[in-house]
Amino acid sequence: MNGVRSGRWQVTASQHRPIRRDQAVQVECARELLGVAFSEAPNKYYFVLRPDHMVVEADSTIQSIMENLQVYRNHLTVVFEGFQYQLGDFHVKAGRAVIAHSENLRGIVLEVEYLPVSSLGKTHQLMQEFVDIWQEVAAQSMTGRIVHLEPNFGDYSLSDQYSWQHTALQYISLMVHFLSQRTN
Amino acid sequence: MECVVQGIIETQHVEALQVLLQGLCGGRQEKLKIHEICLKSGTNLGVEASEVHLLCSLSQTDPVWTVRHVGGPMRGAGAEQLPAHVRSVLESSISSNALRFFYALGYKMDYELVRIGYVFQFQRVVPITVTATMLCKVPKLHAIDEAIPVTPGIQLVELTAPASTENYSEAVGAISSFAEHLAPLIHLSKPGVPTGVVPTASTAAASLVSRGAMKVS
Repeated sequence: MNGVRSGRWQVTASQHRPIRRDQAVQVECARELLGVAFSEAPNKYYFVLRPDHMVVEADSTIQSIMENLQVYRNHLTVVFEGFQYQLGDFHVKAGRAVIAHSENLRGIVLEVEYLPVSSLGKTHQLMQEFVDIWQEVAAQSMTGRIVHLEPNFGDYSLSDQYSWQHTALQYISLMVHFLSQRTN
Repeated sequence: MECVVQGIIETQHVEALQVLLQGLCGGRQEKLKIHEICLKSGTNLGVEASEVHLLCSLSQTDPVWTVRHVGGPMRGAGAEQLPAHVRSVLESSISSNALRFFYALGYKMDYELVRIGYVFQFQRVVPITVTATMLCKVPKLHAIDEAIPVTPGIQLVELTAPASTENYSEAVGAISSFAEHLAPLIHLSKPGVPTGVVPTASTAAASLVSRGAMKVS
């Protein structure tokens, strides 16, 4: 497709669980805290609380704060990594998803970004057409199918203008999807 | 990490303090209005009970949220000899849903207050920040516009400087040295060490304010 490779990328998504001093006593808190870090945005960190439909953006120092608070413990980390490509107005990241420290491959990831426009509403059809082209290519040359995963951004009060918070939610959704595949 | 000393000053002398600070460092003075929420971890949550502060700066057009975690002061015989507290401090900017986020994590509000006053920032060996603020209690939940001073007529002055394990002695020396310049108006010491107001502050303040007025005219 005449894409130009433009470097590596990495996204780290983590699942944290609450720490209870007395295991016999319940705690009123989120049972799962999900976090995301992007190699392209090293000064930022994102949290997602799915039951609360919340995306939180903070500086990367929030990780040190959370470590000092010692209220949540890392349970599992999924690393997404690979190469990125420029295809005209599209920026494509292709890579794999592995459980950290195990090299256990959970899946292949494709991220597509349309650079000229940030509006989700205005680009929805165009993005769908781009994905359809990839489906045709994939059907001819690969086993397996591309599954288009897109969370409902509106449920999380995210605006029509695409942002890193949208991307954070997408990678959390990917992690949840891959982990659910694992337990099937 | 940061070094910190603090003291109290009568509100009527804050103008003189501003004149003195302008004269000493010519630094920028900015208004300060911060809504501070102290959160404590819920029952049984975490390795031990913990506390975190959410700060919402209301000085700008759009509120800016910060989460701040303050560790205990440095301990040991050496630390006790220091004229300032040296403590670990971590801060992070955070999106405006921070309060809802920490509630969801199991934290509960312990108290909230509003700090209103001024902040000076300048460089003296290390970056030094001076704040003079009135602490106001919030009578109803988040009713910050109805905040009333806890101690009318008295403001809290704090000097802080960032520090590291390598340079904290230098930072302590810098703020201690600067604190001496403010001695005519205010006694500054480690947090928790009572100081009281300076008995001769009125005389010093009158002199500073008149000198400041002469410079303007």
